[in-house]
Amino acid sequence: MPELEFVNVRKSYKSPTGENLLALADFSLKVDGGRFVSVVGPSGCGKTTLLRMAAGLVPWDGGEIRLDGDQLTGPSPKMSMVFQAIGLMPWKSVQSNVALGIQLQAHRRNLTAQETDLVGATLAMVGLKGFEHYYPYQLSGGMQQRVGLARALVRQPEILLMDEPFGALDAQTRAVLQDELLSLWGRVKSTVLFITHDLDEAIYLSDLVVIMGRRPGRIKQVLEVKLPHPRYSYDARAEAGFAHLRSIAWQSIKEEL
Amino acid sequence: MTQSADRLTSPAKRNGKSALATLASNHYVLTALSAIAFVALWQIVSMNVPPIILPSPAKVAAAFVELTASGELIRATGQTVWPFAVGLSIAFVIGTSLGLVLGIFRPAARILDPYIFIFWSIPNIAWLPLFIAWFGVGQLTLIVFVFVSAVFPQLLTVEAGAKEADSFLVEVARSLGGTKSEILHIVVLPSALPYIFAGLRIAVGRALVGIIVGQLLIVATGIGYMFQFYGETLSLAKYFAPLIVIAALAVALNRAVNWAEHVLIPWKPRAFT
Repeated sequence: MPELEFVNVRKSYKSPTGENLLALADFSLKVDGGRFVSVVGPSGCGKTTLLRMAAGLVPWDGGEIRLDGDQLTGPSPKMSMVFQAIGLMPWKSVQSNVALGIQLQAHRRNLTAQETDLVGATLAMVGLKGFEHYYPYQLSGGMQQRVGLARALVRQPEILLMDEPFGALDAQTRAVLQDELLSLWGRVKSTVLFITHDLDEAIYLSDLVVIMGRRPGRIKQVLEVKLPHPRYSYDARAEAGFAHLRSIAWQSIKEEL
Repeated sequence: MTQSADRLTSPAKRNGKSALATLASNHYVLTALSAIAFVALWQIVSMNVPPIILPSPAKVAAAFVELTASGELIRATGQTVWPFAVGLSIAFVIGTSLGLVLGIFRPAARILDPYIFIFWSIPNIAWLPLFIAWFGVGQLTLIVFVFVSAVFPQLLTVEAGAKEADSFLVEVARSLGGTKSEILHIVVLPSALPYIFAGLRIAVGRALVGIIVGQLLIVATGIGYMFQFYGETLSLAKYFAPLIVIAALAVALNRAVNWAEHVLIPWKPRAFT
C-alpha cells in the first residue's frame, strides 16, 4: 500500500519585513497506505503548506518527503490534489476538465478509448452523468467540486491530497459530499491526506486526526477514530465515541488559539 | 439569452403587452423604423440648407449608383481594402504573438515595454513622412502605416491579457503534472483569448483611420483619395458614396469580430445580451 512520509521537514517564509518566519519545524508524519488521515489546527499553523509541499507545489528547506520510500521532488503522477477553490478551467466542459487529469498525467493530448470510458465512468461515479458538456459556470458550487473530485480520481491516484475541499460549500452540500467521499474512498482505496479546520468533518471522515499546534507547525496530538466504516450507513455523529473524541480534540485546539 | 432578458424585464411588462408594443419590441422592426426616421430627418434638413452644405438623400443615392456603375467606387474600394487587409493581418499576427510572449516572459517585457510604450505614444500620423522617405509613395507605405497603426493596440492588449492569467489555475495545472508548454496551452492561451478580440476591435478601428489618412494625405488612391477629391471640388453628393462604403466596411468588420468572439468563447456567462 502506498504511503506518504514527512521526515523532519522544515519550511520558512520571508515576511514582508524580511524576517524569516518558521512555518514548519522538524515536522514528521507518516501516513500509512490506505488510511484516511486528517490534519486540523488553528489557522496559520502550516497545514496547507504541508499539503502544498506534498503536492510538489512549494519547495521546502530541509528534511524529506517520501512517497513509497522514494524522495519526492515535484508534482507526482501518483498523487492528485483537490483544492478548496476547485480551479476548474472555465473554458473547458465538465468532461474536458476531468480529461485534463489524465492528459497532464500522461502528457498526451488525445485520450485512448479506454481512458475516455474511464472519464465517463468517473463522472458517473461522482453523480455527474448527463452534465458532460456543461461549462463550469453552469454548475452549482457542489457540482463544481464533484468535477474537481472526478478530475483527481480519474488519475487513479495512490494518494489523494485534499485541501479543505468542502470549506466553501453550504452545510447541506458539505454533508452530502462528505458521505460521497467516504463511499468513493471505500471503492478506490487510495490513501487520503485531508486538511480541514472543521473538527467534526475531520473526525467523521478519518481514521486518524492529526492536531497541529500554532506556528511553527508541529504535531500536538494524534487521535485515532475507531468508529466503524462506512460511517454514512449509521448516524456516526450521534455515537458517544464521536462526542468524546470531539471534546478531546476541541480542548487540545483551544489551547492553541 | 432569453433567460437573462426575462430577468431584466418586470413581470408587469411581460404580461398584457399590446400588439403595437410587441411589434415595436421586434429588433428588425425597430431597426427599420429608425432607418426611416433617419432618412426623413436628413431629407427635412437638406431641404432647409443649401445643397452645398447637405445634399438630399435622393441625390446621394443617385451619386452612389453613378459611381458604382462607372466602376470608380469599386476600384477605389479594392485599392483601400487590399493594403488595409494586409497591414491589419500582419499587425494581428505579430501583435498577438509578441503580446503573448511579453505577457509570459516578464524579463523580456521589462526590457521591451518602454520602447513599445514610446512608439505607441507617438501619434501615428507623425510617421507618415518618414515612411514615404523610406518606402516611397505607394502600397508599401500604406501597408506599413496600417501595420504601425494597428500593431500597438493589439500587442499591448494581448500582453495585458496574458499577464493576467490566473495564477491559481496555473498552480492547479502544475499540480496535475503540467509542463510549461502544457500550461501555456491549457491556461494562458484561453485566458488571453478575450483580450485578443478586445485588441482586434481597437486595431480594426485604428487600421481604418490609418488607411484613410494615408490615402487622403499622401498616396492619392482608393477611398481616401475620393474623400480628398470630392471634398476639394465640393461635390458633396459624391463625397457621401465612399463614406457609405467605409461605414459599411467598419460595421461588417465589427460584426465579424463579435461573431468570431461569440463562437470561440462559449464559456462565459454574459451579463447583458
